[in-house]
Amino acid sequence: MKDTQLLTQAVVDMEEDKALALTRQLLESKTDPVAIFNAYQDAMAEVGKRFEKGIYFIPELVMSGDMMNSAMEIIKPYLNESDTRDTGKKTGRILIATVEGDIHDIGKNIVSTLMALNGFEVRDMGVDVPIDRIISEAKEFGAQIIGLSGLLTLAFDPMKNVVERLEQEGIRDTVKVIIGGGQMDDQICRYVGADAFVTDAVAGISLCKNWLNGSI
Amino acid sequence: MTDIKEISNDKQEAFLSRWASGEGIAFQDDEAKKAYQYRCGLIKDAVQLKKTPDRVPVVPLEIFAPVMLYGYSGKEAMYDANILGKIYLDFTRDYDVDATAIAPMVMYGPALETLDYQLYKWPGHGVKEKLSYQFVEKEYMKAEDYDHFISDPSDYWFRIWLSRTCGALAPLAQMPPIYGTMELPMAGPWLCTLGAPPIQEAFKALLKAGQQSFEWINTLGSYIGQIMAAGYPLYAGSATKAPFDVLGDSFRGTTPLMMDLYRRPEKVIAAMERLVPLMIGTGVGGAVANNNPLVFIPLHKGADGFMSNDQFEKFYWPTLKAVMLGLIDNGCVPCCFVEGGYNQRLEYLADMPKGQCIYIFDRTDMTQARKVLGGKACIGGGFPISLIVTGNVRQVEDETKKLLDAVAGDGGYILSIGCAMDEAKEDTLKAFIKTGKQYGKY
Repeated sequence: MKDTQLLTQAVVDMEEDKALALTRQLLESKTDPVAIFNAYQDAMAEVGKRFEKGIYFIPELVMSGDMMNSAMEIIKPYLNESDTRDTGKKTGRILIATVEGDIHDIGKNIVSTLMALNGFEVRDMGVDVPIDRIISEAKEFGAQIIGLSGLLTLAFDPMKNVVERLEQEGIRDTVKVIIGGGQMDDQICRYVGADAFVTDAVAGISLCKNWLNGSI
Repeated sequence: MTDIKEISNDKQEAFLSRWASGEGIAFQDDEAKKAYQYRCGLIKDAVQLKKTPDRVPVVPLEIFAPVMLYGYSGKEAMYDANILGKIYLDFTRDYDVDATAIAPMVMYGPALETLDYQLYKWPGHGVKEKLSYQFVEKEYMKAEDYDHFISDPSDYWFRIWLSRTCGALAPLAQMPPIYGTMELPMAGPWLCTLGAPPIQEAFKALLKAGQQSFEWINTLGSYIGQIMAAGYPLYAGSATKAPFDVLGDSFRGTTPLMMDLYRRPEKVIAAMERLVPLMIGTGVGGAVANNNPLVFIPLHKGADGFMSNDQFEKFYWPTLKAVMLGLIDNGCVPCCFVEGGYNQRLEYLADMPKGQCIYIFDRTDMTQARKVLGGKACIGGGFPISLIVTGNVRQVEDETKKLLDAVAGDGGYILSIGCAMDEAKEDTLKAFIKTGKQYGKY
């Protein structure tokens, strides 16, 4: 196995110390930093796949993300800015926000991470995002999908209001709206006027991929 | 996994019977006393699985919903004990539930302001006035704090954790630990530090928050007394938590704790084991003080999707189970509010002595829950809040009947909404309760 493959394997296996040591060793032995960076990218892709298969869960997702961030601190000085910019072809643009009134973000953050791993260009607007900002950002970004998150029942109405505003602005047909969160179901999907609802991240990713494959 | 255990529990029987008798409650009349005993009896029968109750008990599990239903804002409820007390009294009578909400769970805004409380945002304080409170998860406990936590949780909790979760108590971190007070010559540093102006201010804030809360509960207490005097039990006597959730929610935060499972798993387990007796004591203490054996345990981060079954078995379940068994040993009834989905984990929940605990489900497949836990533990919940908030009466009636057909069996079920209810509509909630009582007859 090549050293970069060993690195990928170490990250996938959550062997943090080994991965960092290998990263340092590779950099010292003048391995192309882009190849090292790509080894991490490959690892993240594999972790994402395992997450989607139900083999890995939140511990592995956040752990690998943190390992990648730590590694980037070491690799960065060796890289040109262009080396890490737009490393892959983006498959679609998704705008994600926790709606106004709700400040929860654990689920939303997982979705953002997985969407990015799946090649989406993700714009994550954070929590408690007012409707006006979602609409203007969606236009500016050219969002193909809007993902609205909310843990509490108070999120139902702001979600509905976003869809209504999209209609008023005449752009409802240009975007898909997906809602996610602990209390989402078919009833709320119809109430909000969304195109789909999900209660877990993996289902959301798969739905969005299908939409893009069918060209939205 | 062990087989279902038939262990008699005289202590729990005695506590449930004492609670159900209404001993110590100044009932408004005999009818109210009978109604109270009937309602508690429904729950007792549903829990114990020895006798089929007269009907399914209906316990919606509301928190802020009554506030919204009576046209008040979350802020009004959190800042005026008379408003809150009146709302809960009216709600309980008008909606005629079998066990009603616990008003003190709404908490008192002015006391939180005094403390500069950081762990939640609340109406008018980071959240819109009309809404309910929301949790603010952060890494309040650092990774390097584990050893302190494990060696002395009370000291860590009081001086370090409180100093980080309450702005007004930040100076407490400057206090030395209390242990120097064991002897006169060594007591000086501790006492002298207490005199430092910032620490004096911190204690003054703590005392003020205590005084505010005391006055608040005295006002609220008269309404709670009226609720019980009218024949309505409260749906819990106290609350406690799964040790993993204590760490994940309020101390480390989800992301840091999930990484700890790889970086310092032995410390996570040691910290959780330290929490077991503390969480048992918290649950038992409140239950005994309130003469109500039902101990509410909201389950958060062990749900499907958060971790694998192997991780659940290693990190989440052992200490939760120990807390539940500790409560049971002390005569209490652990009432786990199983948030999220537990479709991958139901077998674990079955590993408890028969008929001595309750599992209220949120998004778990109720038919499956009945299949796995039926005859072993009382289950509840599973009704979608979405229909209460956005559906109509017909939909709610149909769904209630469907749910009862699937899970009521010959007892062992409590009809509840699948989540802590912060809003509702009058017609749908009343339809839910009415259908539950009529169609839930055994």
